[in-house]
Amino acid sequence: MTESVSANSEVTVLLVDDNPQNLKVLYETLKDKGYRLLIANEGEKALDLAHRHQPEVILLDIMMPEMDGYEVCQRLKADPATADCAVVFLSALDDLQAKVKGFSLGGADYISKPFQSLEVIARVKTHAQVIRLERQLQARNRELQSDQTRILNSISEGIYGLDEHGNIEFVNPAAALIARSTVDELVGRNFFELHFPDSQESDTLPVQATCRQGVAENQRNIPMARVDGSRFPAEYRATPKLDNEELHGAVVVFRDITTDLENEAALEEAQALVQEQRDQLAHTSRLTTMGEMAAGFAHEVNQPLTAITNYARVAKRIMSKQEAPDMSLLAETMDKIEAQSHRASEIIRRIRRFVKKPATGKEILSVPALLEDTRQFAEVDMRNNEGGIELMVPDALPDVLADPIQVQQVALNLIRNALEASRSASVVQPVKVSAELDGAGCVRVQVRDHGVGLPEDAEEKLFLPFYTTKSDGMGIGLATCRSLIQAQGGDIGFDRPEDGGACFYFTLPVAGEERALSAANGAE
Amino acid sequence: MTDIQQTVYIVEDDEAVRDSLELLLKSDGKSVKPYENAMAFLKDYSDQMAGCIVLDIRMPGMDGMELQKKLNEKHSILPIIFVTGHGDVPMAVDAMKEGAVDFIQKPYREEALLEKIEAALAQDREQRKSLDEKQEIIRRIKTLTPREHEIMDRMIAGQANKVIAIELEISQRTVEIHRSRVMHKMGTHSLAHLVRMVLSVKDLIDAR
Repeated sequence: MTESVSANSEVTVLLVDDNPQNLKVLYETLKDKGYRLLIANEGEKALDLAHRHQPEVILLDIMMPEMDGYEVCQRLKADPATADCAVVFLSALDDLQAKVKGFSLGGADYISKPFQSLEVIARVKTHAQVIRLERQLQARNRELQSDQTRILNSISEGIYGLDEHGNIEFVNPAAALIARSTVDELVGRNFFELHFPDSQESDTLPVQATCRQGVAENQRNIPMARVDGSRFPAEYRATPKLDNEELHGAVVVFRDITTDLENEAALEEAQALVQEQRDQLAHTSRLTTMGEMAAGFAHEVNQPLTAITNYARVAKRIMSKQEAPDMSLLAETMDKIEAQSHRASEIIRRIRRFVKKPATGKEILSVPALLEDTRQFAEVDMRNNEGGIELMVPDALPDVLADPIQVQQVALNLIRNALEASRSASVVQPVKVSAELDGAGCVRVQVRDHGVGLPEDAEEKLFLPFYTTKSDGMGIGLATCRSLIQAQGGDIGFDRPEDGGACFYFTLPVAGEERALSAANGAE
Repeated sequence: MTDIQQTVYIVEDDEAVRDSLELLLKSDGKSVKPYENAMAFLKDYSDQMAGCIVLDIRMPGMDGMELQKKLNEKHSILPIIFVTGHGDVPMAVDAMKEGAVDFIQKPYREEALLEKIEAALAQDREQRKSLDEKQEIIRRIKTLTPREHEIMDRMIAGQANKVIAIELEISQRTVEIHRSRVMHKMGTHSLAHLVRMVLSVKDLIDAR
């Protein structure tokens, strides 16, 4: 910048004098300095040239016929196009009053005649530089301001600048749009009266604490009124406006969250639907399992019923004996009947609980008890398995937080798969069910078989819906298992043991562990 | 071997069912022997056993169907009543094809079960009686000399004494003596009876 000024490029200097001799001298003095030089010999011409070329510096003779220098200066300052140029008066009038008058009219400097060319050169140079810098600064300011305005205008969130009483000092177009008004109409109105018209004096209104105490606020779903009296739910951030630690009101950034709330509601609804369908699918899958096990259950129930029928006949025979009936044998038989009826009702209770429609929700569970119950359940199905089921659970295992029915459903599914795989491979090794505490605050349940093993593409596909390796399978079981276990905040997977077969596992978060709980929520 | 003791053999894995059935049949005056699985019965089996088997079709380890196959391999004639659960009908049909006498579905009525057991025991008695008779015939046949056996075969084929004498190049008188010895040893006076007796054991003899 300094360089360009020293080269005097682009700097225009207007020389105004009614005396051609003077003009000539000035012109000679400045002509080789690189300025663009304009010349006028009277006021009107000077104003016209100045308006058209906006010179940085004007050397202006005071004493001129028609229009004197003072008037020219006045009119230059009145024209916005030329108001900023530096007017340097030239006059033989070397008295104080003339100088003062010149300065009072906006003159920047004063050169006395007869002038010294070095002085003229120096002063012109100085003023050219000052004006140039000033103009650059202004241009920069204009640029910045329009940038800011563009930014504020393009923000979709409404922005208010408030004074400490809540009067609106600044409004961006988005704010006006949200309030259904115009920027001009909103400026000067009171934020609280405008947006919270029904509030009582005693109410603590939003943004009030920011305006009065300088406390930042951040709130959501606050009902705000529009200019037309309608309401909208708003989310806003209020930041105190501080100047040297002195509170000057607040800046409020706000927006209409009607659509957000609708989307959230729709999302919640969709999630509830997904949950409902998952429960429904789980229930259907439990019913399917029961259907597959129906023959087994009928057998299980028929055993005690058969025994009861037989014992009852025996009891009748004892009683119908001619001689004294053997009362102790009778009592013994009756006890047996009672025991068998308990056995039958226990089987039915277990089935009923398993097919109960709504999931009971998460509760604190003992894994060994749950697995023992599941083992008895699964044994209904393993009449053709030589190996059976072997349960290995350590005594000291912490309780877990999970839905008992859904966990039992998963365990039963894995055990039945393992039994089927063992059966298909005609192996005699039992299906081993074990549980242990893993490092990450979870109980890990494992179901290990020595059956037919897993197909090669199991890693990618096994837990996908409708993928099955069984000829009569639907491909629903494991997909449902995964969704159920994930809903408990656990994980499900499998390994391929080196000595064949398959090993499926699932994990459940230990009850009362923060980490486990947050993981459970995260999975929802 | 006329009035042999018949026993009802119960093969049932469920303790309560086994125990109650044993009590029930004993209270009806039957001789009962319970087994808790198919292997235990198979170990105990001998062809001297008489009576019938009440066999649960579904059992862990060896099931009822497998036990039936193993017994068939041993030429057991013990009648089997299969006890089935709901939905086991196809299995029961297969069992009948393999020679089971009957099946009954749990839970059953006592009358129905006892009726089936009685029928099975009667069948066992029949089979055993006819088997005894056949074995008696075979025993008698074994007492014949080769010459007597040959002459009996020709008698059954309908050859007259004269033809037999010519073909065997012996006197007709000698044929007559052999003939009366055969009739005596076989315990009959009528040729028709002799023919019936020998034909009834033909399959057993051919099997040897």
